[in-house]
Amino acid sequence: MISCHPTQEMLEKFANGELPATLAAAVSIHAEMCSECKAQIAAYTEQQAESGFNGVSSHASSANVNDEDVFAGIDIDDLIAAITATDEIDIALEDKEKTITVKGKEYVLPRALTNMTMSNWSSIGKLARSRVELGEGEIRASLLQIQPGGSVPEHTHKGFELTLLLDGSFEDDMGVYGPGDFIVLDGKHTHNPVSHEGCLCYTVSNDAQHFTQGINKLLNPFGSFIY
Amino acid sequence: MGQTVTSSLQSGAKAPKTIAMKENTEHQALADWLQAVANERSKAAFTHLFKFFAPKIQRIAASKYGNETLASEVVQETMSNVWRKAHLFNPDKGSPTTWVYTVMRNVSFDLLRKIKTKKEDNLSDDFWPLVESSEAEDADSQFQDHLASKEVMRCIDTLPEEQKCVVKGFYFMEMSQEQLAQHLGIPLGTVKSRLRLALAKLKQQIGGEK
Ligand SMILES: [Zn+2]
Repeated sequence: MISCHPTQEMLEKFANGELPATLAAAVSIHAEMCSECKAQIAAYTEQQAESGFNGVSSHASSANVNDEDVFAGIDIDDLIAAITATDEIDIALEDKEKTITVKGKEYVLPRALTNMTMSNWSSIGKLARSRVELGEGEIRASLLQIQPGGSVPEHTHKGFELTLLLDGSFEDDMGVYGPGDFIVLDGKHTHNPVSHEGCLCYTVSNDAQHFTQGINKLLNPFGSFIY
Repeated sequence: MGQTVTSSLQSGAKAPKTIAMKENTEHQALADWLQAVANERSKAAFTHLFKFFAPKIQRIAASKYGNETLASEVVQETMSNVWRKAHLFNPDKGSPTTWVYTVMRNVSFDLLRKIKTKKEDNLSDDFWPLVESSEAEDADSQFQDHLASKEVMRCIDTLPEEQKCVVKGFYFMEMSQEQLAQHLGIPLGTVKSRLRLALAKLKQQIGGEK
Protein backbone atom coordinates (compact mmCIF):
# COMPACT_ATOMS: atom_id res chain seq x y z
CA MET A 1 0.00 0.00 0.00
CA ILE A 2 1.44 3.34 -1.05
CA SER A 3 1.41 5.84 1.79
CA CYS A 4 3.25 8.87 0.35
CA HIS A 5 1.87 10.72 -2.65
CA PRO A 6 2.75 13.87 -4.60
CA THR A 7 0.89 16.99 -3.43
CA GLN A 8 -2.21 18.13 -5.32
CA GLU A 9 -0.22 21.11 -6.56
CA MET A 10 2.39 18.81 -8.02
CA LEU A 11 -0.22 16.61 -9.70
CA GLU A 12 -1.87 19.67 -11.24
CA LYS A 13 1.44 21.02 -12.52
CA PHE A 14 2.25 17.61 -13.93
CA ALA A 15 -1.09 17.52 -15.74
CA ASN A 16 -0.30 20.95 -17.22
CA GLY A 17 3.19 19.94 -18.30
CA GLU A 18 4.74 22.54 -16.00
CA LEU A 19 7.17 20.41 -14.00
CA PRO A 20 10.82 20.02 -15.00
CA ALA A 21 11.59 16.64 -16.58
CA THR A 22 13.32 15.37 -13.42
CA LEU A 23 10.11 15.79 -11.40
CA ALA A 24 7.69 14.99 -14.22
CA ALA A 25 9.39 11.60 -14.53
CA ALA A 26 8.85 10.95 -10.82
CA VAL A 27 5.16 11.87 -10.90
CA SER A 28 4.68 9.81 -14.06
CA ILE A 29 6.26 6.75 -12.44
CA HIS A 30 4.21 7.20 -9.28
CA ALA A 31 0.97 7.56 -11.25
CA GLU A 32 1.67 4.29 -13.06
CA MET A 33 1.74 2.62 -9.64
CA CYS A 34 -1.05 4.63 -7.96
CA SER A 35 -4.53 4.63 -9.46
CA GLU A 36 -5.70 7.36 -7.08
CA CYS A 37 -3.15 9.90 -8.30
CA LYS A 38 -3.63 8.74 -11.87
CA ALA A 39 -7.35 9.54 -11.62
CA GLN A 40 -6.58 12.90 -10.05
CA ILE A 41 -4.21 13.77 -12.90
CA ALA A 42 -6.87 12.78 -15.42
CA ALA A 43 -9.33 15.10 -13.64
CA TYR A 44 -6.90 18.03 -13.73
CA THR A 45 -6.14 17.37 -17.39
CA GLU A 46 -9.82 17.35 -18.26
CA GLN A 47 -10.39 20.51 -16.27
CA GLN A 48 -7.57 22.27 -18.12
CA ALA A 49 -8.84 21.10 -21.49
CA GLU A 50 -12.35 22.26 -20.63
CA SER A 51 -11.29 25.73 -19.58
CA GLY A 52 -8.85 26.04 -22.46
CA PHE A 53 -10.99 24.81 -25.33
CA ASN A 54 -14.62 24.67 -24.30
CA GLY A 55 -14.52 27.67 -22.00
CA VAL A 56 -13.64 29.83 -24.96
CA SER A 57 -16.19 28.35 -27.31
CA SER A 58 -19.04 28.75 -24.83
CA HIS A 59 -19.05 32.45 -25.60
CA ALA A 60 -19.87 31.54 -29.14
CA SER A 61 -20.17 34.84 -30.94
CA SER A 62 -17.20 36.72 -29.51
CA ALA A 63 -15.01 33.62 -29.71
CA ASN A 64 -15.70 33.14 -33.39
CA VAL A 65 -14.63 36.68 -34.16
CA ASN A 66 -11.49 36.17 -32.12
CA ASP A 67 -10.78 32.85 -33.76
CA GLU A 68 -10.61 34.52 -37.14
CA ASP A 69 -8.59 37.43 -35.82
CA VAL A 70 -5.93 35.14 -34.42
CA PHE A 71 -4.91 34.08 -37.92
CA ALA A 72 -5.56 37.35 -39.69
CA GLY A 73 -3.02 37.72 -42.49
CA ILE A 74 -1.96 34.06 -42.32
CA ASP A 75 -2.93 31.66 -45.07
CA ILE A 76 -4.56 28.84 -43.13
CA ASP A 77 -4.98 26.74 -46.25
CA ASP A 78 -1.23 26.76 -46.77
CA LEU A 79 -0.64 25.59 -43.20
CA ILE A 80 -3.20 22.83 -43.56
CA ALA A 81 -1.78 21.75 -46.93
CA ALA A 82 1.72 21.57 -45.46
CA ILE A 83 0.58 19.41 -42.56
CA THR A 84 -1.57 17.05 -44.62
CA ALA A 85 1.03 16.68 -47.39
CA THR A 86 2.40 13.59 -45.65
CA ASP A 87 0.46 10.38 -45.38
CA GLU A 88 2.69 9.05 -42.63
CA ILE A 89 1.11 8.14 -39.33
CA ASP A 90 2.74 7.61 -35.97
CA ILE A 91 2.36 4.02 -34.89
CA ALA A 92 2.08 3.80 -31.14
CA LEU A 93 5.49 3.05 -29.73
CA GLU A 94 6.13 -0.63 -29.40
CA ASP A 95 6.63 -1.89 -25.93
CA LYS A 96 10.34 -1.62 -25.36
CA GLU A 97 10.89 -2.83 -21.86
CA LYS A 98 14.33 -1.92 -20.62
CA THR A 99 16.08 -3.62 -17.77
CA ILE A 100 19.17 -2.61 -15.85
CA THR A 101 21.41 -4.74 -13.71
CA VAL A 102 23.01 -3.22 -10.63
CA LYS A 103 25.34 -5.30 -8.51
CA GLY A 104 23.90 -8.49 -9.93
CA LYS A 105 20.25 -7.56 -9.41
CA GLU A 106 18.03 -6.97 -12.39
CA TYR A 107 15.30 -4.31 -12.46
CA VAL A 108 12.74 -3.38 -15.10
CA LEU A 109 12.91 0.38 -15.64
CA PRO A 110 9.67 2.36 -15.47
CA ARG A 111 8.57 3.62 -18.89
CA ALA A 112 9.33 7.24 -17.96
CA LEU A 113 13.03 6.38 -17.64
CA THR A 114 13.48 4.19 -20.70
CA ASN A 115 14.84 6.91 -22.98
CA MET A 116 17.08 8.69 -20.52
CA THR A 117 20.84 8.76 -20.56
CA MET A 118 22.43 7.46 -17.37
CA SER A 119 25.97 7.68 -16.17
CA ASN A 120 27.99 4.65 -15.14
CA TRP A 121 27.29 3.32 -11.68
CA SER A 122 29.63 4.33 -8.91
CA SER A 123 29.48 2.89 -5.44
CA ILE A 124 30.51 3.34 -1.84
CA GLY A 125 29.91 0.44 0.51
CA LYS A 126 26.36 -0.79 0.10
CA LEU A 127 25.25 2.20 -1.96
CA ALA A 128 25.42 2.51 -5.72
CA ARG A 129 24.37 5.52 -7.73
CA SER A 130 23.92 6.47 -11.37
CA ARG A 131 23.17 10.01 -12.50
CA VAL A 132 20.27 10.56 -14.85
CA GLU A 133 21.41 13.16 -17.37
CA LEU A 134 18.53 15.56 -17.87
CA GLY A 135 20.45 18.82 -18.13
CA GLU A 136 18.32 20.79 -15.69
CA GLY A 137 21.18 22.47 -13.89
CA GLU A 138 20.86 22.44 -10.14
CA ILE A 139 17.99 19.98 -10.18
CA ARG A 140 19.63 16.61 -10.39
CA ALA A 141 18.16 13.16 -10.71
CA SER A 142 19.78 9.83 -9.88
CA LEU A 143 19.06 6.18 -9.44
CA LEU A 144 20.17 4.96 -6.05
CA GLN A 145 20.50 1.36 -4.99
CA ILE A 146 20.83 0.36 -1.36
CA GLN A 147 21.92 -3.22 -0.93
CA PRO A 148 20.41 -5.37 1.83
CA GLY A 149 21.43 -4.07 5.22
CA GLY A 150 22.70 -0.79 3.79
CA SER A 151 21.80 2.71 4.91
CA VAL A 152 22.23 6.35 3.98
CA PRO A 153 24.07 8.27 6.72
CA GLU A 154 22.02 10.98 8.40
CA HIS A 155 21.92 14.02 6.21
CA THR A 156 19.97 17.19 5.59
CA HIS A 157 19.31 19.31 2.55
CA LYS A 158 18.86 23.00 2.05
CA GLY A 159 16.55 22.50 -0.89
CA PHE A 160 14.23 19.59 -1.39
CA GLU A 161 14.95 15.96 -1.76
CA LEU A 162 12.56 13.59 -3.47
CA THR A 163 12.89 9.85 -3.09
CA LEU A 164 10.64 7.62 -5.16
CA LEU A 165 10.91 4.01 -4.21
CA LEU A 166 10.93 1.81 -7.31
CA ASP A 167 11.69 -1.58 -5.85
CA GLY A 168 12.23 -3.11 -2.41
CA SER A 169 11.74 -1.13 0.81
CA PHE A 170 13.48 1.11 3.32
CA GLU A 171 12.62 2.69 6.62
CA ASP A 172 13.53 5.79 8.56
CA ASP A 173 12.33 7.23 11.86
CA MET A 174 9.07 8.28 10.18
CA GLY A 175 8.01 4.95 8.77
CA VAL A 176 8.50 2.03 6.40
CA TYR A 177 8.25 2.68 2.69
CA GLY A 178 7.52 0.42 -0.26
CA PRO A 179 7.37 0.60 -4.07
CA GLY A 180 5.57 3.70 -5.32
CA ASP A 181 6.09 5.77 -2.18
CA PHE A 182 6.86 9.37 -3.12
CA ILE A 183 8.77 10.93 -0.26
CA VAL A 184 9.58 14.64 -0.31
CA LEU A 185 11.78 16.16 2.37
CA ASP A 186 12.83 19.78 2.69
CA GLY A 187 15.67 21.34 4.63
CA LYS A 188 13.80 21.04 7.91
CA HIS A 189 14.07 17.28 7.98
CA THR A 190 16.96 15.00 8.55
CA HIS A 191 16.64 11.30 8.00
CA ASN A 192 18.61 8.14 8.00
CA PRO A 193 17.06 5.57 5.68
CA VAL A 194 17.94 1.94 6.29
CA SER A 195 17.09 -0.87 3.91
CA HIS A 196 16.97 -4.40 5.29
CA GLU A 197 15.97 -6.15 2.07
CA GLY A 198 17.64 -3.69 -0.30
CA CYS A 199 15.96 -1.20 -2.64
CA LEU A 200 16.18 0.88 -5.80
CA CYS A 201 15.09 4.55 -5.72
CA TYR A 202 14.75 7.40 -8.16
CA THR A 203 15.90 10.57 -6.43
CA VAL A 204 15.72 14.26 -7.29
CA SER A 205 17.35 17.08 -5.40
CA ASN A 206 18.05 20.77 -6.00
CA ASP A 207 20.92 21.18 -3.66
CA ALA A 208 23.50 23.03 -5.72
CA GLN A 209 23.83 25.85 -3.23
CA HIS A 210 24.51 23.50 -0.36
CA PHE A 211 27.26 21.59 -2.07
CA THR A 212 29.05 24.43 -3.76
CA GLN A 213 29.92 25.85 -0.36
CA GLY A 214 33.19 24.12 0.32
CA ILE A 215 32.87 23.56 4.03
CA ASN A 216 29.50 21.82 3.76
CA LYS A 217 30.87 19.67 1.03
CA LEU A 218 33.58 18.50 3.37
CA LEU A 219 31.12 17.96 6.17
CA ASN A 220 28.64 16.10 4.06
CA PRO A 221 30.42 14.02 1.42
CA PHE A 222 27.78 11.34 1.43
CA GLY A 223 25.07 13.79 0.50
CA SER A 224 26.87 15.00 -2.58
CA PHE A 225 27.60 11.46 -3.60
CA ILE A 226 24.05 10.29 -3.27
CA TYR A 227 21.81 13.13 -4.35
CA MET B 1 -8.85 14.15 -0.03
CA GLY B 2 -10.22 13.02 -3.40
CA GLN B 3 -13.63 14.41 -2.48
CA THR B 4 -12.49 17.94 -1.82
CA VAL B 5 -10.86 18.17 -5.18
CA THR B 6 -13.78 16.64 -7.04
CA SER B 7 -16.20 19.10 -5.52
CA SER B 8 -13.94 22.05 -6.24
CA LEU B 9 -13.64 20.87 -9.82
CA GLN B 10 -17.39 20.69 -10.12
CA SER B 11 -18.01 24.08 -8.62
CA GLY B 12 -15.49 25.46 -11.11
CA ALA B 13 -17.54 24.28 -14.05
CA LYS B 14 -20.64 26.44 -13.99
CA ALA B 15 -22.26 24.91 -17.04
CA PRO B 16 -25.92 25.71 -17.57
CA LYS B 17 -27.82 22.98 -19.40
CA THR B 18 -27.90 24.75 -22.74
CA ILE B 19 -24.14 25.08 -22.86
CA ALA B 20 -23.68 21.48 -21.75
CA MET B 21 -25.89 20.37 -24.63
CA LYS B 22 -24.04 22.53 -27.07
CA GLU B 23 -20.78 21.02 -25.85
CA ASN B 24 -22.10 17.52 -26.34
CA THR B 25 -22.95 18.11 -29.98
CA GLU B 26 -19.68 19.94 -30.41
CA HIS B 27 -17.76 17.04 -28.87
CA GLN B 28 -19.59 14.63 -31.16
CA ALA B 29 -18.64 16.65 -34.24
CA LEU B 30 -15.00 16.89 -33.12
CA ALA B 31 -14.87 13.17 -32.40
CA ASP B 32 -16.35 12.40 -35.83
CA TRP B 33 -13.77 14.60 -37.53
CA LEU B 34 -10.93 12.93 -35.63
CA GLN B 35 -12.19 9.54 -36.75
CA ALA B 36 -12.55 10.72 -40.33
CA VAL B 37 -8.93 11.84 -40.21
CA ALA B 38 -7.90 8.51 -38.71
CA ASN B 39 -9.88 6.24 -40.99
CA GLU B 40 -10.10 8.13 -44.25
CA ARG B 41 -7.23 10.61 -43.95
CA SER B 42 -9.92 13.21 -44.65
CA LYS B 43 -8.41 16.64 -45.32
CA ALA B 44 -11.84 18.23 -45.10
CA ALA B 45 -12.33 16.87 -41.58
CA PHE B 46 -8.83 18.01 -40.68
CA THR B 47 -9.62 21.50 -41.92
CA HIS B 48 -12.61 21.62 -39.55
CA LEU B 49 -10.41 20.49 -36.66
CA PHE B 50 -7.77 23.02 -37.58
CA LYS B 51 -10.25 25.87 -37.64
CA PHE B 52 -11.66 24.85 -34.28
CA PHE B 53 -8.44 24.16 -32.40
CA ALA B 54 -5.63 26.19 -33.99
CA PRO B 55 -6.81 29.67 -32.88
CA LYS B 56 -7.51 28.41 -29.37
CA ILE B 57 -4.11 26.74 -29.12
CA GLN B 58 -2.47 29.93 -30.41
CA ARG B 59 -4.23 31.96 -27.70
CA ILE B 60 -3.58 29.49 -24.87
CA ALA B 61 0.12 29.13 -25.76
CA ALA B 62 0.65 32.85 -26.36
CA SER B 63 -0.81 33.77 -22.98
CA LYS B 64 1.08 30.98 -21.21
CA TYR B 65 4.50 31.66 -22.75
CA GLY B 66 4.11 35.32 -23.70
CA ASN B 67 5.57 34.66 -27.13
CA GLU B 68 3.57 34.61 -30.38
CA THR B 69 6.29 32.88 -32.41
CA LEU B 70 6.60 30.06 -29.92
CA ALA B 71 2.80 29.84 -29.83
CA SER B 72 2.71 29.43 -33.64
CA GLU B 73 5.22 26.64 -33.34
CA VAL B 74 3.03 24.94 -30.74
CA VAL B 75 0.05 25.25 -33.11
CA GLN B 76 1.95 23.79 -36.04
CA GLU B 77 3.42 20.88 -34.06
CA THR B 78 0.17 20.10 -32.26
CA MET B 79 -1.90 20.08 -35.43
CA SER B 80 0.71 17.96 -37.24
CA ASN B 81 0.50 15.46 -34.42
CA VAL B 82 -3.30 15.48 -34.59
CA TRP B 83 -2.96 14.61 -38.29
CA ARG B 84 -0.44 11.83 -37.66
CA LYS B 85 -1.87 10.40 -34.42
CA ALA B 86 -5.63 10.72 -34.86
CA HIS B 87 -5.93 6.92 -34.90
CA LEU B 88 -4.75 6.91 -31.26
CA PHE B 89 -7.80 8.88 -30.16
CA ASN B 90 -10.27 6.59 -28.41
CA PRO B 91 -13.71 8.18 -27.85
CA ASP B 92 -14.45 5.64 -25.08
CA LYS B 93 -11.52 6.93 -23.03
CA GLY B 94 -12.19 10.67 -23.08
CA SER B 95 -13.39 13.72 -24.94
CA PRO B 96 -11.77 14.95 -28.17
CA THR B 97 -10.90 18.27 -26.53
CA THR B 98 -9.05 16.54 -23.70
CA TRP B 99 -7.18 14.41 -26.22
CA VAL B 100 -6.07 17.40 -28.30
CA TYR B 101 -5.15 19.19 -25.08
CA THR B 102 -2.84 16.33 -24.12
CA VAL B 103 -1.25 16.41 -27.58
CA MET B 104 -0.67 20.16 -27.12
CA ARG B 105 0.68 19.68 -23.60
CA ASN B 106 3.18 17.05 -24.81
CA VAL B 107 4.31 19.16 -27.77
CA SER B 108 4.77 22.22 -25.55
CA PHE B 109 6.75 20.27 -22.98
CA ASP B 110 9.20 18.97 -25.60
CA LEU B 111 9.51 22.38 -27.28
CA LEU B 112 10.20 24.22 -24.02
CA ARG B 113 12.65 21.58 -22.89
CA LYS B 114 14.49 21.98 -26.19
CA ILE B 115 14.72 25.72 -25.63
CA LYS B 116 15.68 25.57 -21.95
CA THR B 117 18.08 22.62 -21.88
CA LYS B 118 19.00 22.20 -25.57
CA LYS B 119 17.87 18.58 -25.24
CA GLU B 120 15.87 17.07 -28.06
CA ASP B 121 15.02 13.90 -26.21
CA ASN B 122 11.23 14.30 -26.64
CA LEU B 123 10.39 12.66 -23.34
CA SER B 124 6.76 13.73 -23.24
CA ASP B 125 5.33 10.56 -24.73
CA ASP B 126 7.16 8.58 -22.05
CA PHE B 127 5.71 10.74 -19.27
CA TRP B 128 2.20 11.05 -20.70
CA PRO B 129 1.65 8.11 -23.04
CA LEU B 130 -1.06 8.79 -25.60
CA VAL B 131 -1.83 5.09 -25.49
CA GLU B 132 -2.20 3.40 -22.13
CA SER B 133 0.80 1.26 -21.28
CA SER B 134 -1.31 -1.84 -20.71
CA GLU B 135 -2.48 -1.49 -24.28
CA ALA B 136 0.98 -0.99 -25.66
CA GLU B 137 2.28 -3.99 -23.75
CA ASP B 138 3.18 -6.81 -26.04
CA ALA B 139 0.82 -5.47 -28.67
CA ASP B 140 3.00 -7.10 -31.26
CA SER B 141 3.15 -10.60 -29.84
CA GLN B 142 -0.51 -10.55 -28.87
CA PHE B 143 -1.30 -9.67 -32.41
CA GLN B 144 0.62 -12.68 -33.66
CA ASP B 145 -0.89 -15.04 -31.09
CA HIS B 146 -4.45 -13.98 -31.63
CA LEU B 147 -4.30 -13.52 -35.33
CA ALA B 148 -6.76 -16.26 -36.12
CA SER B 149 -8.92 -15.85 -33.05
CA LYS B 150 -12.51 -14.73 -32.93
CA GLU B 151 -11.51 -11.62 -31.05
CA VAL B 152 -9.40 -10.43 -33.94
CA MET B 153 -12.15 -11.19 -36.40
CA ARG B 154 -14.52 -9.09 -34.32
CA CYS B 155 -12.04 -6.21 -34.36
CA ILE B 156 -11.45 -6.54 -38.07
CA ASP B 157 -15.18 -6.33 -38.63
CA THR B 158 -15.25 -2.92 -36.94
CA LEU B 159 -12.74 -1.51 -39.43
CA PRO B 160 -13.94 0.76 -42.22
CA GLU B 161 -14.88 -1.30 -45.29
CA GLU B 162 -11.86 -0.36 -47.40
CA GLN B 163 -9.37 -1.25 -44.63
CA LYS B 164 -11.22 -4.50 -43.96
CA CYS B 165 -10.76 -5.60 -47.60
CA VAL B 166 -7.05 -4.98 -47.51
CA VAL B 167 -6.51 -6.74 -44.19
CA LYS B 168 -8.56 -9.78 -45.16
CA GLY B 169 -6.90 -9.99 -48.55
CA PHE B 170 -3.43 -9.65 -47.14
CA TYR B 171 -3.68 -11.90 -44.08
CA PHE B 172 -6.34 -14.42 -44.93
CA MET B 173 -6.11 -14.78 -48.68
CA GLU B 174 -2.36 -14.30 -48.62
CA MET B 175 -2.36 -11.88 -51.51
CA SER B 176 0.66 -9.65 -51.96
CA GLN B 177 0.24 -5.90 -51.63
CA GLU B 178 0.81 -5.60 -55.38
CA GLN B 179 -1.88 -8.17 -56.12
CA LEU B 180 -4.28 -6.38 -53.81
CA ALA B 181 -3.64 -3.07 -55.52
CA GLN B 182 -4.39 -4.66 -58.86
CA HIS B 183 -7.39 -6.60 -57.58
CA LEU B 184 -8.98 -3.56 -55.92
CA GLY B 185 -7.93 -1.15 -58.65
CA ILE B 186 -6.16 1.26 -56.28
CA PRO B 187 -2.57 2.52 -56.14
CA LEU B 188 -0.01 0.44 -54.26
CA GLY B 189 0.64 3.36 -51.90
CA THR B 190 -3.01 3.36 -50.91
CA VAL B 191 -2.91 -0.37 -50.13
CA LYS B 192 0.13 0.23 -47.96
CA SER B 193 -1.34 3.15 -46.06
CA ARG B 194 -4.69 1.37 -45.52
CA LEU B 195 -2.87 -1.65 -44.19
CA ARG B 196 -0.80 0.51 -41.89
CA LEU B 197 -3.86 2.31 -40.55
CA ALA B 198 -5.76 -0.92 -40.06
CA LEU B 199 -2.87 -2.54 -38.19
CA ALA B 200 -2.39 0.45 -35.92
CA LYS B 201 -6.07 0.33 -35.12
CA LEU B 202 -6.14 -3.41 -34.52
CA LYS B 203 -3.11 -3.31 -32.30
CA GLN B 204 -4.70 -0.63 -30.21
CA GLN B 205 -8.01 -2.49 -29.91
CA ILE B 206 -6.50 -5.87 -29.23
CA GLY B 207 -4.08 -4.41 -26.72
CA GLY B 208 -7.06 -2.76 -25.03
CA GLU B 209 -8.81 -6.06 -24.39
CA LYS B 210 -6.22 -7.11 -21.91
ZN1 LIG C 1 -0.51 8.53 -5.32
